[in-house]
Amino acid sequence: MKWLDHLEEWLITVLMGVATLITFLAVIHRYASGFAIPGLQDWLLRQDVSWAQEATIYLFVWMAKFGAAYGVRTGIHVGVDVAINRLSERTRKKFIIFGLLAGAFFTFALASFGGSFVWENGAHYRIFSILGLNLDGLTKGPVTPDMEMPTWIVYCAIPFGSGLMCFRFLQVAWTFIRTGELPHHDHGHVEGLEEGVEEDAAPDLHPQEHAR
Amino acid sequence: MNGLIIFGLLLTLMLTGMPVSIALGLTVLTFIFGFTDVPTQAVALKLFTGIENFEIMAVPFFILAGNFLTHGGVAKRMITFAASMVGHWYGGLGLAGVLACALFAAVSGSSPATVVAIGSILLPAMIKAGFPKSFGAGVITTSGALGILIPPSIVMVMFSVSTNTSLGALFMAGVVPGIVLAFLLGLTTWYRARKNNYPRLPKATWAARGKAFRESFWGLMLIVIVMGGIYAGLFTPTEAAAMSAVYAFIVAVFVYKDLNLSDVPRVLLASANMSAMLLYIITNAVLFSFVLTNEQIPQHLADWMVGMGLGPIAFLLVCNLLLLVAGNFMEPSSIVLIMAPILFPVAVKMGIDPVHFGIMMVVNMEVGMCHPPVGLNLYVASGITKMGITELTVAVWPWLLTMLGFLVVVTYYPPLTLWLPHMLNMR
Repeated sequence: MKWLDHLEEWLITVLMGVATLITFLAVIHRYASGFAIPGLQDWLLRQDVSWAQEATIYLFVWMAKFGAAYGVRTGIHVGVDVAINRLSERTRKKFIIFGLLAGAFFTFALASFGGSFVWENGAHYRIFSILGLNLDGLTKGPVTPDMEMPTWIVYCAIPFGSGLMCFRFLQVAWTFIRTGELPHHDHGHVEGLEEGVEEDAAPDLHPQEHAR
Repeated sequence: MNGLIIFGLLLTLMLTGMPVSIALGLTVLTFIFGFTDVPTQAVALKLFTGIENFEIMAVPFFILAGNFLTHGGVAKRMITFAASMVGHWYGGLGLAGVLACALFAAVSGSSPATVVAIGSILLPAMIKAGFPKSFGAGVITTSGALGILIPPSIVMVMFSVSTNTSLGALFMAGVVPGIVLAFLLGLTTWYRARKNNYPRLPKATWAARGKAFRESFWGLMLIVIVMGGIYAGLFTPTEAAAMSAVYAFIVAVFVYKDLNLSDVPRVLLASANMSAMLLYIITNAVLFSFVLTNEQIPQHLADWMVGMGLGPIAFLLVCNLLLLVAGNFMEPSSIVLIMAPILFPVAVKMGIDPVHFGIMMVVNMEVGMCHPPVGLNLYVASGITKMGITELTVAVWPWLLTMLGFLVVVTYYPPLTLWLPHMLNMR
């Protein structure tokens, strides 16, 4: 499963970087095209950047869906654990497994809603037309306002992202049942602090672990 | 009745310890399947369109900007600058800690990271200089929370998104209370240091101050770019956030050289991780607030409160108590996203200014980060100081009281927040 981990990390890193660059360039374009530099100004005015905002939104939506799946693996999705931390170790474990399975159930439900939504909004038509099958009663589905991209392609983020997230929840639950270990995100991590101090700096977000 | 079912469900699910976003989502699904006939297809669509909004995208951009500058090197520069400016007064390094925390927190955008960055550098120095450990811990834990009040602030973006309040106005409104709170925390530090006669630093020369300022200048410019850009109308808040992310990248890699180009993918990944988590909560909170509005729960609540003869003063008191209790269990973004859709319509009906209400919520969140049982700053500080939570709670007490007093002032004296945005004609 290493390839899936790498693909996931690589995908959200690129989406984050590209979205930032696009918005940055669109703003620069807006101001740079105001300067009367021969040649450059004409070239800049010929460029159409009206799609930048829409593209940023979609890139971030994809980043959010797949990043949320990555977040399950890094343990960044936190809940209210004050109540269950007061329970006995066995009961607490059961609650944690329940929480993880609830996450898997919810994301599975979303993946299936999203999947049927995408299917009925153009994916069905597109795939059948590629395969040369009967298109009676099928619709092409709407397109996005600026980029005129079929919306079902954009909305694919829901079935795929949620599906991956569901898989991650199951993966984490399985590891927890087998080894009792949960991924744990360090909210206070800061780079560039002196060696040694940085180790001390690991914050104690799960104090119950010491109570064992 | 439906309101009780929804909140009962949410509370039960949350208490099982599952992620807040999942608890919100499952509450919505259960309620829609069990008690209404809203088609689930509408839910699927909302899942996507919920965050299909350019304003929300300020969240990932601000997180990215903050992550580029959340670095020990930046923290050191801020501390040197702060110490050269205020170190010679009573409280010395402690006072410098308040100022350094305020500056670093504003730039990095993360309270726990501020506590760790400033604390790991400053606390050993303070102990060496002869301050008791608890004094230093108290200063850093509480001052670290200043970040969510001084713009740019993620929590304010959350409030703006869930209530459609102008983000520019919220940012402006945060400036004066942020400075006042930093001043009050500094005053508490000064007073306690003077009483106990803690050591002071030798007065820095103006040349040293100038050098320290030039060093920290590039980091502090980030705030100027965001605020200046939004106020001058050069950028929308989201564009300002993107510009600040690119600016922070240039400063971190080419000016400060704290990061190499090869570190950039790691920063991008860490920012994507954090932003995706917040965006996931937002998505589910949008669903949740869709259900609340659909069931007209805020309206019912408002009618009921007015019917009870509850005026704005009593309402704000109830809000404060509710938010302080919520601050015991959840982190700020989740609280704002869950509570704002319910409380905000009531506040508007009572004639409370939206911006004032937003700042009041943010100050509440700040207090919540510093008090037990689950103040995130407390846990982080307990990690770096090796002090127990109970011991730390005692240590932060004087500053926490100052913050609570300040909360009362912010709640009942709107001009403190509204003066600046109104003067600049931002509403």
